[in-house]
Amino acid sequence: MIVTKDLQKSFGDLHVLKGINEHIHKGEKVVIVGPSGSGKSTFLRCLNLLEQPTSGEVWVEGVNITDPKCNINLVRRKMGMVFQNFNLFNHLTILKNITLAPVTQKLQTQEEAEQNARRLLARIGLADKENAYPSQLSGGQKQRIAIVRALAMNPDMMLFDEPTSALDPEMVGEVLDLMKELANAGMTMVVVTHEMGFAREVATRVLFMDEGEVVEQAPPQEFFANPKNPRLKDFLSKVL
Amino acid sequence: MISLLSFASTSSLASSAAAGAVAQEMNLWEQIVLWFQQFFTNLGDKLYTALIEDSRYMYLVHGIGNTLLITVFATIIGITIGLLVALIKYQAYQTKRMKLADKLCNLYLTVIRGTPVVVQLLIMYFVIFPTFDALICAILSFGINSGAYVAEIVRSGLFAVDQGQGEAGRSLGLTQKQTLRLIVLPQAIKNILPALGNEFIVLLKETSVAGYITIMDLTRAGYIIQTRTYNAFIPYFLVAAIYLVIVVGLTKVLRHFERRLSRSDRN
Repeated sequence: MIVTKDLQKSFGDLHVLKGINEHIHKGEKVVIVGPSGSGKSTFLRCLNLLEQPTSGEVWVEGVNITDPKCNINLVRRKMGMVFQNFNLFNHLTILKNITLAPVTQKLQTQEEAEQNARRLLARIGLADKENAYPSQLSGGQKQRIAIVRALAMNPDMMLFDEPTSALDPEMVGEVLDLMKELANAGMTMVVVTHEMGFAREVATRVLFMDEGEVVEQAPPQEFFANPKNPRLKDFLSKVL
Repeated sequence: MISLLSFASTSSLASSAAAGAVAQEMNLWEQIVLWFQQFFTNLGDKLYTALIEDSRYMYLVHGIGNTLLITVFATIIGITIGLLVALIKYQAYQTKRMKLADKLCNLYLTVIRGTPVVVQLLIMYFVIFPTFDALICAILSFGINSGAYVAEIVRSGLFAVDQGQGEAGRSLGLTQKQTLRLIVLPQAIKNILPALGNEFIVLLKETSVAGYITIMDLTRAGYIIQTRTYNAFIPYFLVAAIYLVIVVGLTKVLRHFERRLSRSDRN
């Protein structure tokens, strides 16, 4: 579903990604962990071209999205993204936040989009917030709405960039629960996170990145119980 | 007022006895008192001469009309140019394209912000469009001048919107233009409204130099009344008061807009 071929990214002299070859299949829940500065977020952002790779290719559902002729906007419709800082549109109500993208791109009529948005809001228990503005919500509520906003586009896969890192501890649970629900429903997910519990419970595969490379990867049981690479052992000893 | 006058007269007696001063060597108090005396002597007559006689108030009426006319149309031109220039510069920065357009915008900003508006006005009227009506020259001049400042205000607003807002829009499949129009620009406008309001107030007052190219704006109207009546007090105070009233009104209108747009900030 997503294939990267020798994906490289530099910011000036800083070589952030040093050739990543990965294949993410439909229905997989890939969790990426690693120390800060290891290139996890950059890798994730290259998958929907929020970062333009310096070299290498990214293929999504058989389309080379690194080809300049590719219309990236069409590909992004199918790839939802959730950010660390939520990035809800501050000047719009919650309902407008959710309906803006599908209506603007003429994928749904305003009525359809609103119906869909209300259904999604009801599902996360925030139906009463549709006319609120983002500044009136808690961090956990904002992030759940950000997830729902991405879902309103009916994506085939979802990218999560440290979705719980900016949350107060007591709000992490509600966001992770929604992500688990999504995972159980069969969504293809790529998640950058520091939540090892989530990786252990939800992931089908865990990647460990360090210094711009995927150093080790394995299913979660093996990944946590039997790490091989010394850098991964060191990392796990610090975070577990 | 009476005690002030008596105080002034005794002190003037004392000082003239001591120094034998002539009228030109009045002390500060006496000058102030004299000033007020002149101001209030025949105030009614002066008002009558300045405004009613020969229907001189019509100068002010026409002056207000021209000042507002120049301000309104210059504002429209200024916003149009300012938005365009700021959007070009923002897009050039985001997409790393449109290098030539970006350079032209920079040239415009440098020249307009680097030269006085009066000089621009004179060049417009005497050099570029000598055949045009002075009013049109003034509107163009002030519009083009204001556009440069509006452009910088809008640009600062666009760049102040969190990068994540645009990324969220793009990640949902919106194009660069849609993201700019629906997500970044509305938030930028909301944040720069006070600065924009300030720019329009400055513009309104700057039009007071339109008299340089024969336009009878509000300031010029005051000047004309002064030369007709040999009295400066009344016309200039009136002119100042009229500017003040217009600016205060404009400020109120802008505050109203700011409040409406800041709904989403309330907790």
